[in-house]
Amino acid sequence: MNIVVAMKQIPDLQQVRIKNRKPILDDVPLTFGNIDRNALEAAVLIKEQVGGSVTVVAAGKEGLEDTVKEALAAGADQAYLIICNEQEDIESSISAKLLAEAIKQLGSVDLVLFGEGSGDNYSSQVGSRVAELLDLPQVGYVERIELTAGELVVTRSLEDGKEVVQVALPAVLTVVTDLNQPRIPSVTQILKAGRKPKKVMSDQELLGAVPTPKVKTLSNLAPEIKRKQIQVGTAVELVEKLQAEGFLGRA
Amino acid sequence: MSLTTGLKSKLGLNVFKESSKFHIRIKEGKEKDPRLQKAVLVCPAGLYSQNPEGEVVLSSDGCLECGTCLIACGRELLDWEYPEGGSGVQFRFG
Amino acid sequence: MPYQNENDGFEVIVVGGGLAGLAAAYILADRGVEVLVLERGDYCGAKNVTGGRIYLNPVREIFSQLLKDAPFERHIAHEEVSLFAASRSLTLRYDGSELGDPPYQSYSVLRAKFDRWLARQAEKKGAMLATKSRVDDVILENGVVKGVRAGGEELRANVVIACDGVLSLVSERAGLRKDIQPQYYAVGIKEVIEMDRKAIENRFNLEGEEGVARLFMGDVTAGMFGGGFLYTNLDSISLGLVVSIKDLLENQREVIVSDLLERFKQRSEVSLLIKGGETVEYSAHVIPEGGFNALNSLYGDGILVAGDAAGFALNIGVTVRGMEYALASGYYAAQTVLHAREKGDYSRATLGLYRQLLEDSFVLKDFKSFRDALSVLNSPRLFQHYPELLGNILRDLYWIPPGPKDRLYSTVRRYLGVREVWQALGDVRRMSKI
Repeated sequence: MNIVVAMKQIPDLQQVRIKNRKPILDDVPLTFGNIDRNALEAAVLIKEQVGGSVTVVAAGKEGLEDTVKEALAAGADQAYLIICNEQEDIESSISAKLLAEAIKQLGSVDLVLFGEGSGDNYSSQVGSRVAELLDLPQVGYVERIELTAGELVVTRSLEDGKEVVQVALPAVLTVVTDLNQPRIPSVTQILKAGRKPKKVMSDQELLGAVPTPKVKTLSNLAPEIKRKQIQVGTAVELVEKLQAEGFLGRA
Repeated sequence: MSLTTGLKSKLGLNVFKESSKFHIRIKEGKEKDPRLQKAVLVCPAGLYSQNPEGEVVLSSDGCLECGTCLIACGRELLDWEYPEGGSGVQFRFG
Repeated sequence: MPYQNENDGFEVIVVGGGLAGLAAAYILADRGVEVLVLERGDYCGAKNVTGGRIYLNPVREIFSQLLKDAPFERHIAHEEVSLFAASRSLTLRYDGSELGDPPYQSYSVLRAKFDRWLARQAEKKGAMLATKSRVDDVILENGVVKGVRAGGEELRANVVIACDGVLSLVSERAGLRKDIQPQYYAVGIKEVIEMDRKAIENRFNLEGEEGVARLFMGDVTAGMFGGGFLYTNLDSISLGLVVSIKDLLENQREVIVSDLLERFKQRSEVSLLIKGGETVEYSAHVIPEGGFNALNSLYGDGILVAGDAAGFALNIGVTVRGMEYALASGYYAAQTVLHAREKGDYSRATLGLYRQLLEDSFVLKDFKSFRDALSVLNSPRLFQHYPELLGNILRDLYWIPPGPKDRLYSTVRRYLGVREVWQALGDVRRMSKI
């Protein structure tokens, strides 16, 4: 089974500081989103079960070749990298075009896995858009994947229940984080990752002309935290204020 | 602001990556050892405290992995290892 | 049979991607040696803390090319020392042309940035780096180190260089460490306080990328052995304390180390310096400051020890040094491995060259010169009595009373009785050892 996992290079979100309500991205290490890792782990588990190959298709900026080593160490066999240095953040519709084009070039693909949303923007669009561009069925919110005789039985995690569906291959699945626990690569796997095959393309090389983004981020501000700074003189007063604020006296 | 809450909020500035288990453990039966009580004074993150029963307890949030408690108490009192790779504190400035 | 390719094992495994480990890996990779660096942090520098200043003169020659483009913060062009009494202080500022003119003697530095950069330089030379990889044990066969265990894997090598910091599990497991003695260790705690670049330059009277290093002694550590420090970085200030762990353990007032730093920050002399700044990180680390007498074994069969792991940090009163010893010991460890590789022999006897190289260099020469520094400096008189005494003398000199003022000579004389002078002479005599 030839499986493609789409992964987005994002800043390590735990390392991002907020200053004057804006995120500081300088020197923040680049990595993949956690859900992307779940998607990769699912692909590697299927490969280990039935054989085949796992290809990571990733879009990102310079340094992507380094970032992708994580995925290659965690079990992917090869990588197809799309470097988009021009754009600040890639719009979902453009990401989808880039990924779909790359997947087409890979030839016969049985299964394409995405995280339900990217770790940074979480637009949750790209998986569905790629399925549309490739004319493939898509199933979202996947928390369990079973493979039986050329078909997938997939459990979807919904707000008030679980839905089990059968999907014919090839197909696109977008997965949630409950799916599995991604493996931690060993040192040997980390070292071997550097020697696995990688194909590197720029967005222009891949699409000819890259479409102009139609969605523009105007601002990206952290919520303002305002503390009430109420002063109290006595314990009785404190209890009164807390009651007034609704922190005390509720069941 | 009391010094203790100040310390907690200072630790909150750091990046801590989750670990599957905490990497320092007080050895069984040593909770009341007087040498262990000194860990309360030396831990820069204030992770050691004494409970009403006189036992020293260790909280696992915000360990700076500095090693001071190990130097102070030794392996006789503490099971001490580094957190697994890629977990624990990750200094942004250092 | 020594390993030549990684299917059987590596030529060299370096445990710990700090300054010592990366310096060794950089030199070895440059000479075409297969070297693997194992770092437990997300990136090199993620677990490292410095006060932070690095002195370049001792290592300028051995790393002439490398250090030219290093991402240092500010070159230290001004030195200040403050003696803190309980409610007064005295500050001396030293400006010298040798500090202000290139090549600069020392720089402030932040390790997360610096070590990540150094790791990239080593990788460019061909060193292999595995981050997020903790070493759990050494492979020991008949007393010979054959490699390490990490994440359930055995990684074999001709030689292991233990650069895993002050607590060095690797050298402990290899049987090279002395028992832990708290008097040989200090704890350093630090805040990085972000501040506008221009504000830093104005506040500390700095021109461009000049920086200042400030040392604080006395009440800062409640009389315990240690001191406070302040270094200006490009866009931040590193402010912290170093305190003897033994003194903390024995302090009768039960002063808590983190409170010391808060009190230090609240001193008006200090709070003015950091006003308007925002703390962005709080860090701490143990410092091996026992000097020559506390050094661990530096080598064994199949193993070399460098940096803090060996105990290469030195408290000489006016400053605590460590990073240049780490870089240099990494360099000499690499030279030793190159020699052993030529002989095809990694036994203790061959690796003994490491000790010789260090003896001939500034590293062990410094450690011998300052072997008594700790015992001489660790005197409560230095950290409590003299700051108070000087503070009191100055208070009386500057004091204009409502009535007639005493003559200056008798003001000073009042504090310097026969007993005081006699004791001071004794202290000075003891100082002659360092």
